[in-house]
Amino acid sequence: MQRLLILSVLLGAVLGKEDFVGHQVLRISVADEAQVQKVKELEDLEHLQLDFWRGPAQPGSPIDVRVPFPSIQAVKIFLEAHGIEYTIMIEDVQSLLDEEQEQMLAFQARASSTDNFNYATYHSLEEIYDFIDLLVAENPKLVSKLQIGSSYEGRPLYVLKFSTGGKNRPAIWIDTGIHSREWVTQASGVWFAKKIVQDYGRDPAITAVLDSLDIFLEIVTNPDGFAYTHSTNRLWRKTRSHTSGSLCVGADPNRNWDAGFGLAGASSSPCSETYHGKSANSEVEVKSIVDFVKDHGNIKAFISIHSYSQLLLYPYGYKKAAVADQKELDEVAKSAVAALTSLYGTKFQYGSIYTTIYQASGSSIDWAYNQGIKYSFSFELRDTGRNGFLLPASQIIPTAEETWLALQTILEYTLNHPY
Amino acid sequence: MQPRRPPPPAPGPPRPAAPLLALPLLLLAVQGAAAPTGPEAAEWRPDTGPPHGLLRQAARAALHFLNFRAGSPSALRVLAAVQEGRARINAKKECTVDLVFTTEHYNSEEGEERLGKCSARVFFRNQKPRPAVNVTCARLMEKTKRQQEDYRLYKQMKQLRNPLDGVSIPDSHGHIDPSLRPVWELAFLGSSYVMWEKTTRFLHYYMAQLSGVKQWETNDGAIDFDYTVLLHEFSTQEIIPCRIHLVWSPGKPLTVKYHCQELLAPEDASGTEEGSAVAPTELSNF
Repeated sequence: MQRLLILSVLLGAVLGKEDFVGHQVLRISVADEAQVQKVKELEDLEHLQLDFWRGPAQPGSPIDVRVPFPSIQAVKIFLEAHGIEYTIMIEDVQSLLDEEQEQMLAFQARASSTDNFNYATYHSLEEIYDFIDLLVAENPKLVSKLQIGSSYEGRPLYVLKFSTGGKNRPAIWIDTGIHSREWVTQASGVWFAKKIVQDYGRDPAITAVLDSLDIFLEIVTNPDGFAYTHSTNRLWRKTRSHTSGSLCVGADPNRNWDAGFGLAGASSSPCSETYHGKSANSEVEVKSIVDFVKDHGNIKAFISIHSYSQLLLYPYGYKKAAVADQKELDEVAKSAVAALTSLYGTKFQYGSIYTTIYQASGSSIDWAYNQGIKYSFSFELRDTGRNGFLLPASQIIPTAEETWLALQTILEYTLNHPY
Repeated sequence: MQPRRPPPPAPGPPRPAAPLLALPLLLLAVQGAAAPTGPEAAEWRPDTGPPHGLLRQAARAALHFLNFRAGSPSALRVLAAVQEGRARINAKKECTVDLVFTTEHYNSEEGEERLGKCSARVFFRNQKPRPAVNVTCARLMEKTKRQQEDYRLYKQMKQLRNPLDGVSIPDSHGHIDPSLRPVWELAFLGSSYVMWEKTTRFLHYYMAQLSGVKQWETNDGAIDFDYTVLLHEFSTQEIIPCRIHLVWSPGKPLTVKYHCQELLAPEDASGTEEGSAVAPTELSNF
C-alpha cells in the first residue's frame, strides 16, 4: 500500500516537479469523534498545505497525512496540545523518493540487449553473466556459451565460443579477470565480445580470422574473487579457496600453473598475494582451463589479460632463459604494441615476463607455451600507477579499443602463420 | 618493477643525441664507494645501458622524495618517461643511478601535457629502504600559481564536512568526487613520504586507495589529517595498509608520522613499520 502511495507521489513529483525535502508523513491515531473533528479542522487550514493520504474518518481508523516541512512544527504542536497521538511514518519523504528513483533506474538500467548495455561502466558478476546470455541469444550462429567447470564456491565458469563452423578448428584462447581486482580486464572482455560480433562480416580482418579459426573468450576467469571485490574487498586478487592449516584464503591463480611451479617467483605462504597454491592446478579455476585446452588439442594462441602496467609480455616468467621462439614473439609483440599505441598514444613496453616485469613462476602463458602453444602472450593494461587497479570507468572503452588493435594483430598473425 | 638480471637490449625511448649532463665525471668519484673494478662495475655494459627497470625504479624514488619535499598537494608529479640514465654498483651491492626523466602534473586531465624535466641521483643501499635522493626539476607550475592552488585546496579542506566515515577514495569504479579531490591530493602528499621511505632497489609502491579518513582539524590554521591509505607494492603484489598522520599548511614544511601494517597473516599484529619526518626546507645533498 505504501509503495502505491509513494509511486503516486513520485508521479506527482515528476509531473509537478515538486520537492519533498524534509516533508514528513504522520500517522495520526484518533481516540474519539472529538479528535476526528479536530483533525478535520486541520484539513481546512489550506495554508498548511497538508496532503491527506488517508483522510479523517472515524475513531480507530489511522489518518495518514503528508506534512510539508514549514508546517511540521505547527501540526505537531496542534496535535500534542489536543492530546492526539501520532507517529512519524516517513521521516523524510524526499530521501525515500530518491531511493526509489535509484532503484527504478537501476532496474531500467538492466540491459535488454547488448546494444543498450553500458560498456562504459563496471558491472557485477550477474550483469556480465546476463550480458553473455544476451550476446548468445542475439548471435546464435556465431556465439555459444560453454561451461568449463565451476569455481571453488560453485559459480559456473563460462567461456564464449566464437565460431563460424568447422570441426575443432585451430583456435585462440583469451582470458580476462584471472586476478579479480583488475576490473578493466573483465570490462574489456565484455567489450571484445561485442566487438567480435559487430565486426564479423563487416571488418575483413576479423572476418578472415573467424572464417578459419575459433575464438574462446573467458571473461570472468575468477568469479569468486570477482564477487568478493564487489561485496567485500575491492583489492582482492586471488581465488577464494581455503587452505587447510591457514586462516588465509585464496591462491594466486597466475602462480598455480604447471610451469616452474613453486620455484622462485611465487610464495609458499598462504597469506601472500602470490601464494602458488598447494600444488600445480590445485585451483579449480586453473584446472578447468588446463583440461579444456588439453581436450581441445588445437589451440594456437593463448592470451591472458591483466592490469596494470601497460606491458605486452611473452614467456618465460619462471626463468631468465629465452624461449626458442623469442625472436618471433618479440617481433609480434613489437607490431602489436605499435598497433595499440597508434590509437591514443598509450605507451606500452614489451619483452619476456622475467626481464620486463619480475620473476614469476607458475604463470599461465609459460604453461601454454610449454604445451606447444607458440603464440602465448600476457597483457598488462592501463595504467602505470596513477589509478592502478581503480581505473576510472571513463577509461574502459579507450583501453578496450586500443587493446583490441593489439589483439587483432596477434589474431591475424596466428591466422597467417599456421604451425 | 625491474628485472633482477640484465635484460637483452630492451626497447626504450630513443636516446637523445646530446651528451649526458656532466655526470660521467661524478661517476668516478662517488663518495665512499670503491673505484669501478671487476665484474660488479661491468654488470651493465655501456652499450646496452642499465636495465630499464632500474632507471624507472630510481625515477619513482626520486619523485616520491621530490613530492614530499616540495610539500605542495597541488603540484604533485608523476613519471612521464625516463630519458637517459646510467648506473653503477659497487662491491657492497650498493647502487648509484644517475638519470634524467620527464614528469607530468599528477592532476592533469587527459590530454593536458606539460612535461617538466628532472635530473636525479639515487643511491640504493643494496636491499635497504630509504634510498638517498638528490633531485632537481624544472618548475612545472609557476610559483605564485602553485601557492594559490595550495591555498585554494586548503580552504576547500577546511570547508568539507568531517569526518568522512566509511568513505573510500576513489570508489570502486575509480571515481573521486570533485569535492573530495583535495582530500586525495593531501593524502597522496603524505603517502609520498611513506612510499619514498619504503622504496628499495626492488620494492616500489603506488597509492591504491584512501580507505579511511579519521579526522582532520584545523588548529593554528594548519590541517591535521589522520587517514589510512592502502599502498600497492608491485613486486610482491601486496596491499599494505598504512595509518598516516600529517600536519600541513600552505607554504610550511609538512610533518608526517606513519604506521604501516607489514606482512601477511590475518592475525598479524606484529611487524609494523613506523616513521616520521619533517620536510627539510633546504635541498638535501648526500
